[in-house]
Amino acid sequence: MVGKDCVAIASDLRLGTQALGISSNFQRVPVSHFSRVCPSLTICQVFPITDRLYVGLPGLGTDVTTLYERFRYRVNMYTIKEEREIHPETFTHMVSSTLYEHRFGPYFIEPVVAGLSKLPTGGLKPFIAAMDLIGCINFAKDFVVAGTASSKLYGVAEGLWEPDLEPEDLFETISQTLLNAVDRDAFSGWGAVVHVITKDRVISRTLKARMD
Amino acid sequence: MDHIDMDRLKTGEVNLGTSIMAVQFDGGVVVGADSRTTTGSYIANRVTDKLTHVHDRIYCCRSGSAADTQAIADAVYYHCQILTQIHGAPPSVAATAASFAKLCYENKDTLSAGIIVGGWDNEVGPSVYNIPLGGGLFRQPWAIGGSGSTYVYGYCDATYQDGWGRDETVEFVKNTLALAMSRDGSSGGVIRMCVITEEGVERLFVPGNQLPKFWEGKEVLSTPLKKTSENAPAPMLIE
Amino acid sequence: MYRSSGFDFSNSIRNHSLAEKGLPLPKVTSTGTTIVGCVFKDGIILGADTRATEGPIVADKNCEKIHYISESIRCCGAGTAADTEFVTATISSNMDLHALSTGRKPRVVTAMTLLKQHLFRYQGHVGAALVLGGVDVTGPQLFTIHPHGSTDKLPYVTMGSGSLAAMAIFESSWQPNMTREQALQLVTTAISAGIFNDLGSGSNVDACIITATGTEMLRNFVKPNERVEKERKYTFRRGATAWKSESIRKLIVNEQVTPVAGEAMDVS
Repeated sequence: MVGKDCVAIASDLRLGTQALGISSNFQRVPVSHFSRVCPSLTICQVFPITDRLYVGLPGLGTDVTTLYERFRYRVNMYTIKEEREIHPETFTHMVSSTLYEHRFGPYFIEPVVAGLSKLPTGGLKPFIAAMDLIGCINFAKDFVVAGTASSKLYGVAEGLWEPDLEPEDLFETISQTLLNAVDRDAFSGWGAVVHVITKDRVISRTLKARMD
Repeated sequence: MDHIDMDRLKTGEVNLGTSIMAVQFDGGVVVGADSRTTTGSYIANRVTDKLTHVHDRIYCCRSGSAADTQAIADAVYYHCQILTQIHGAPPSVAATAASFAKLCYENKDTLSAGIIVGGWDNEVGPSVYNIPLGGGLFRQPWAIGGSGSTYVYGYCDATYQDGWGRDETVEFVKNTLALAMSRDGSSGGVIRMCVITEEGVERLFVPGNQLPKFWEGKEVLSTPLKKTSENAPAPMLIE
Repeated sequence: MYRSSGFDFSNSIRNHSLAEKGLPLPKVTSTGTTIVGCVFKDGIILGADTRATEGPIVADKNCEKIHYISESIRCCGAGTAADTEFVTATISSNMDLHALSTGRKPRVVTAMTLLKQHLFRYQGHVGAALVLGGVDVTGPQLFTIHPHGSTDKLPYVTMGSGSLAAMAIFESSWQPNMTREQALQLVTTAISAGIFNDLGSGSNVDACIITATGTEMLRNFVKPNERVEKERKYTFRRGATAWKSESIRKLIVNEQVTPVAGEAMDVS
């Protein structure tokens, strides 16, 4: 979600095989531990790319890890070659073309990008984008949603979002949007995390949420 | 034989459910086609030009998948340019038709294309070649193709005669296509024709409201069985 | 790590087995669109709606469907959104290279040929239905390109799910040699017909006028579906959301370099 000189990105923490929950904190579980259970795990994970750029990767567990490692590698190569940080727009196009390369055998991931992009004047501009699983970018000016609860999120976000929210107000809006939508999605939940990115700091909070 | 099998087309593919024709006469060849292109029941183009130029005196009539036949015609056009450069003379109709047949035969599993090639060359004068679905190659004095052709085989068999001149041949092509277009739902629009002779290529165009008319039935209900007296009320007009 | 160019099919077998186990392919964004093109006295006008859909959901309410090919050639896209986006970007790039190697201004037929050959190669699996228009040395040109690679050249064209509604407008009101104003009005009416009568199309009208003298992109030319402003605000009071833990990462906002006393190092 876009706010006044800030953006926020939020996700739930559930890792499940269709209806069976496996982990409520995907970040801390070693990959090899559950990859043997079933390949069709659906999760969402938010990763930092640069200081003011985060990417959310909701979808198939195996693809989340594969793609994150791939993006980490490519962003590192970019930073070394170009001797500068990657811009959110550039990163979005990098994700998009990686997904489109697999047009006829896609990764089951619908990424969400949120960050602050540097203007030539030195200022910072909020940037958010979402993609479908084959890399069609949606540059929205208000909010983007993805994952199993996306249809519920659309409705709640459409009602609650408003322009020019301050970081603390944006936190409340995105948190309530996520929690209320996720409570009506059987496959999402089990806790949630919110990152609010502003010009001088990134606030990450884990929310108190239903655990069923 | 060269009836277009609709199942071979992929869903949503643009289709030339067509009536096409080529007839040879003493001085040249007349090629003709309707102008309808369909996607399912929607007419994607009602003024299509299915008579495609492949060389100075060689044209082809396309039927089947629009994408396939355009790709084939482009490939053959390119091939003809190369033949011209190699031999320093325009390619014969036979060589051009063989080039079409080769592509159609070698890719018969993936293509749905029924093509008629007509043209004039130095060696044999006017000639018409039919290349139906599987990629066969047949020289014929006249050839018809596309979904509309099935309705007019009998008419052609009964009407065609050797030794016609240009005007009689043009009239024959025009009448045959008009008959096919009136019976076939996926043919229609206007008639486009080309007269290819040694002197050049003349394009002919018949608008949809000036097509030759044949017996189209009369209103049975409004016609009284026998003559009624003048006092009787006038029969209800239907229409 | 070397990767060859072109598509990567390495996930196909895996996805096939996942589909058999009951994990269906998620829906892709498509543009159930109304796009049109129309020739007028001095050039071409292209038009498009701005709705992108994901099944029954509106994924984007104001997307751009008129894509850049070159300065005087533009292309409207309908069908699978990612395909229209990437196919036009690829051809735009190839047109630039072609213009650079020939030293001539690019022609519309060149773009049309590149597009149809690309789409034909993928036998309709690249699901892009396009309206290509522009002005080149041969004058105004307008084409439609279907996903299987067939092309048509017509004075007025429509494509996408709203093409029937838009074509009805063209068939009843189009006339040869229209003025710029007449043509723009007609294109707007045709797109509006799609927006209001076709469920896959919606939101605003985009238009693009291409003439020999220049190209004018009219983004959101008409906005017939603006959302009314909310009467009351729904902002939550701060502290409404309960949270368990917090971590704050302070970022460097600006660096100041202070020179340390002493002579600068000789780097000559």
